Amino acid sequence: MSLEAAAFWGLALVLLASGLAVVLSKNLFHSVLYLALALVATAGLFLLLQAEFLAAVQILLYAGGVITIVVFAIVVTERLVGERLVQTNRGIVNGGLVSLAVLIAIIIFVTRATLPQTPPPPPADLTQAIGRDLLTRFVLPFELLAVLFLAALLGALFFARKEE
Amino acid sequence: MMRDVLAAFVLLNVVVLIVTYLTYVERKFAARMQSRIGPYRVGRPHGWLQPIADAIKLLIKEDIVPALADRPVYNLAPIVFLLPSLLIFATIPFAPGLGLADLNIGILFFLAVSSLEIVGLFMGGWGSNNKYALLSAMRAVNQIISYEVPFVVTALIPVLLAGSLKLSTIVQAQEGLWFVAYPVIGQLAFVAFIVATIASENRVPFDILEAESELVAGFRVEYSGMKFALIQLAEYTHMFGVSCLGALLFLGGWLGPGLPGWAWFLLKALFIFLLVTWVRWSFVRIRVDQILGLSWKVLLPATLVLLMATGFWVALGGGHVA
Repeated sequence: MSLEAAAFWGLALVLLASGLAVVLSKNLFHSVLYLALALVATAGLFLLLQAEFLAAVQILLYAGGVITIVVFAIVVTERLVGERLVQTNRGIVNGGLVSLAVLIAIIIFVTRATLPQTPPPPPADLTQAIGRDLLTRFVLPFELLAVLFLAALLGALFFARKEE
Repeated sequence: MMRDVLAAFVLLNVVVLIVTYLTYVERKFAARMQSRIGPYRVGRPHGWLQPIADAIKLLIKEDIVPALADRPVYNLAPIVFLLPSLLIFATIPFAPGLGLADLNIGILFFLAVSSLEIVGLFMGGWGSNNKYALLSAMRAVNQIISYEVPFVVTALIPVLLAGSLKLSTIVQAQEGLWFVAYPVIGQLAFVAFIVATIASENRVPFDILEAESELVAGFRVEYSGMKFALIQLAEYTHMFGVSCLGALLFLGGWLGPGLPGWAWFLLKALFIFLLVTWVRWSFVRIRVDQILGLSWKVLLPATLVLLMATGFWVALGGGHVA
């Protein structure tokens, strides 16, 4: 087994195990820590695909930013307000069915897709290529996303303001 | 492969050694500022063995775990806290060709990895099961979310000027003129960088999460022995890392006449470290709401305007884009 394959299986194992731990752990705070681990492992997968830029952004935004905010939300609601948050439920059958459906869909997609046997060589400067594409080819979805985030931000402000 | 492992081993040890002595530098510097002598007794001359003695003392101290602590989280926290601080040195070029990995996305790697530090900090605050530790960790999250944004934006200004995310290219772009010497943009960006650095290192006047008069010692209050030492080491290592980043981004890294490149680089990093230390020992702590207000109402808009201005300037041909 090549070093790359070994790294892939190692990362896959960590990713699956931590992903399962996120949903199975009874302690909400532990779930978040496992989620952080899963996000870092995802960044590792990006690194294996030679997408260093994506890996760094993944860590910066998800493992650094999103996790911090989630943790903050938990602490404010659970420890300081004193309300115990329950994060497991009994809907294991429904959950299993949905997961199975998603799995089947992914398998169908992967088997139907015609993937090249050898990966195409990545562009010389991936960061530059991403930047250029975002502002030319994909400028419309990019701007739409920005509008979406703005809407989310305004929504959050609306909920957070004091009742008058 | 073997060579890389060896190089990493040497680098880690050098960094830890430097950081150990930075604590000594800070104590001496602060002492002089207050007309004291500072550590003097351990080792002649001038107590130079003090940091070693401190490390040995902490190593042989009893390791106490609070009865109600969340054990795995509590025990892992110092490691998770230290790891990012050490990892950031992987991408720092100390001199031309002297560095572990001069990544194409060097600065992004630095920012991404150091943003993981907060996870370790929070694990410590939560795992201790102590109200002071938890309050401190919450304040830390508040502050770090607020100051990470202006910090990243100021770090982007040299990136724009140099037209690259690679740290060694950013240094090379300063061959003619250091970025800190660029008219107006350079100085303002440097000041914003220093303010954001002080805040992200949680030092006075932004040390609300340590605030010894309110929170005892903040999130590390329950830690003792080697775990406490690891947390201290992590903080100083990160401080040193950010000083190195500042030297690379604004002060021209290894560039300078006479001395070898790495010496210039370390001197510049030391300069930034002392600048931050100077502020730390001169000011008083400010309130939480003032800290957050300063970030969102002053620093962030100011740095965004600065970034826009830099962008216009570069677009008009002022930068170093090839």
